[in-house]
Amino acid sequence: MESSSLVIRSDGGTSAVTSSREFGDFSILVSDFEGATGWGLKPEGLCKGDVCYPVRNVEELSDGVNIDLATFAKLTNQSLLFDSEYQVAALGELASSRATSMSTLVAPDFRLPDIHGKQVSFSDFNRRKRLLLAWSSW
Amino acid sequence: MQDSGFQIVAVALDADENAVIEWATKEALTFPVLIDKFHIVADLYGFVNVPAAIWVDENDKIVRPADGTPGSDLFRSFSHVDSEVHHNLLRSWVRGNVRDLDDAQVRDFQLPPTQELQDARLHRRIAIALRERGDPGDEAGSRKHLALAEELAPLDWTIRRGNMPLVGIDPFGEEFFKFVGEWAKAGRPGYELGTGRETKPDLT
Repeated sequence: MESSSLVIRSDGGTSAVTSSREFGDFSILVSDFEGATGWGLKPEGLCKGDVCYPVRNVEELSDGVNIDLATFAKLTNQSLLFDSEYQVAALGELASSRATSMSTLVAPDFRLPDIHGKQVSFSDFNRRKRLLLAWSSW
Repeated sequence: MQDSGFQIVAVALDADENAVIEWATKEALTFPVLIDKFHIVADLYGFVNVPAAIWVDENDKIVRPADGTPGSDLFRSFSHVDSEVHHNLLRSWVRGNVRDLDDAQVRDFQLPPTQELQDARLHRRIAIALRERGDPGDEAGSRKHLALAEELAPLDWTIRRGNMPLVGIDPFGEEFFKFVGEWAKAGRPGYELGTGRETKPDLT
């Protein structure tokens, strides 16, 4: 049975997709895959920008119509949580990858809306010293 | 310091954008205030409580790790942190290019996450997405995932305290002080730099 689900990427981008439980516990349509995850299934493997991870057994990842998100997450070194009842899946960074990226001391970029609804990137303020302040109303 | 090639970028780890807009408008802030409903920046940079800050230099390098950073002495009686110490260090860096920590020290004081914390962050994102979708039953689903996040990261302020207003709990009420007690008993895990922290804090 197909249903409408949400996929949340590790950068916070969220997409509505068509999901099913016919191929793995949480799969999404091949046609929704790249838009929802930012990754493409190519002859070289699973690719995002210049990064490609080989896919040794394509049948495990896809039946041609659906892509199994758990297999996708495993192959691309991401973590995945999903709730089939509420039809939401979230992809994230594994703790081990995050520890490695933090130790490089390279400040990762991000893009978020400001209070006027305008999308702003941290890199919009590059080439100057920055104080990144985490704050909250709670 | 805004003229000297320096920029403050504030990120609100907040699912309630109206609260952020209200505060930022009232204070007439001159720096950008971004709204991070999914706590993406907490995940990227290792923020576990607020207010806290990281310094990033002209070459996109992290030169000071996440550290509890009060903007003023408003909560000094509670946090026992002297904001002037932070302000002086910041001035020395911005104006004189003087760092108080070297790269090795920055790494030592970073807070790489546990897998439990990463999973908690994903549960929280699912909860926020359900809350926003708002289909019948989504409110129950949202609460379920907020509770799962708290089970996995019971001592993380962005999870435990950040969840309180989402489930109608007073973030300065009884539940909050119960959490603070648990956190203090566990040795106050979090930012270890403790810049400007006065001795003998009494939080319990």
